[in-house]
Amino acid sequence: MTQVVYERPQEHMGMPLPTPKVAMWLFLVTEIMFFTALIGTYIVLRHGTPAQSPFKWPAPHQVHLIEWIGALNTFVLICSSFTVVLAHHAAVKADMKKATSYVAITLALGGVFLGIKAYEYNSKFQHDILPGHIGESLPYPAKGGGDNDLKAIEREKHEHATGMQYFHRVQLQLEAIKKSSIDAEIQKECNALLDAMTATTAAEGQAVAFHRPPSPAEVGERVNEILEKAEKKGVTLHLTPAIPFGNLWASCYFAMTGFHALHVLGGVVVFAIILLMAVIGRLGPQHSTMLELVGLYWHFVDIVWIFLFPLLYLV
Amino acid sequence: MTETGHPTTHDAAHDLRVKAYFTVFIALSIFTLVSFIANEAVRQGWIDLYTSVTIIIAVAVIKAILVGLIFMHLNFDWGKVYFIIVPIFILGVMMMMVLMPDTVIAWQPSQNPLEPPVSTTGTR
Repeated sequence: MTQVVYERPQEHMGMPLPTPKVAMWLFLVTEIMFFTALIGTYIVLRHGTPAQSPFKWPAPHQVHLIEWIGALNTFVLICSSFTVVLAHHAAVKADMKKATSYVAITLALGGVFLGIKAYEYNSKFQHDILPGHIGESLPYPAKGGGDNDLKAIEREKHEHATGMQYFHRVQLQLEAIKKSSIDAEIQKECNALLDAMTATTAAEGQAVAFHRPPSPAEVGERVNEILEKAEKKGVTLHLTPAIPFGNLWASCYFAMTGFHALHVLGGVVVFAIILLMAVIGRLGPQHSTMLELVGLYWHFVDIVWIFLFPLLYLV
Repeated sequence: MTETGHPTTHDAAHDLRVKAYFTVFIALSIFTLVSFIANEAVRQGWIDLYTSVTIIIAVAVIKAILVGLIFMHLNFDWGKVYFIIVPIFILGVMMMMVLMPDTVIAWQPSQNPLEPPVSTTGTR
């Protein structure tokens, strides 16, 4: 008797992808969510600045961000993405010498990115553009009359505590500048501001007369003028500027670029381990999947920077 | 390569991939330059801010898609991982929508706390 046997197609359970790749994609989607939260919050906060206020979200030059440096870092990451994909390609072709060279170049490019980032962070520290340090108040523009005065008073009332913190920070910085030896004209202006703030000076032979010390907004305005003059003369002053929404900007900047730099650092460490494996002769074609997974992570880090660069430096 | 020295289909596919990687690398570099120029164009007054922002964001999205498709091999793997990625993007948009009322809408003129109070009795 003849029997007909129907062969059912074999059913596969699970994902149609290798398990490590699925795991990496699952990790990457959690990372997408993490950075979406940071970037989304930044976009919402930035667009949440009052539409009617004469003060706008800080422009890159106000917070000492240099566009071409950001663009250079973007190019560095793009180059590293290219080299990591070539490293994987070489590993698939079992050309481990080439793969190792590309990994070494990627590692070096990651280091260059972090170096440039460190230079930028140093600039922020030098100019005291740090969360909680920046003066938030500036006098309202003169045009508009009494209504603007009212707004200015209301705004300062709202920001009294942070305004006074800024006042005292600048006072200490001015005292330090008084003791230092810098450009005579700039120092004279700094001393004049300090005298106005301390309200104890008087002409020789006269009694000390009371005068109203400047408000934090007025101090901020004078500090910005001094900083502008100092910049034109090429003098570096450790004096905190007044930038409306500056603290919010600094918080967003350090949170986003800081977490991104940590991810770059993580990638650099992994590339260093791979390079070490190659040096001791333990890197082989069997590691091509590992290189692909590290590459996936590295490309994700690149994509994050592709969005951070225009949002922080350009738009 | 075969023993006779002729390239195999496999080798040809590999070469094509490398060409694709190189093309994307050049495209990404050019796009970076485009966004930089679009930003500079606003300063020079050649284009308005909204046009510049549109160009810059569009360029960023295109760059991300290129990296995803070619470098991350999503042109091959998309059908296998889309169900992990798509919900995340939906959740991301939803998160921003949830944040919106607390910040953006809170600053609308009628609710602006920094506005001087408007008297209803005629005396201020």
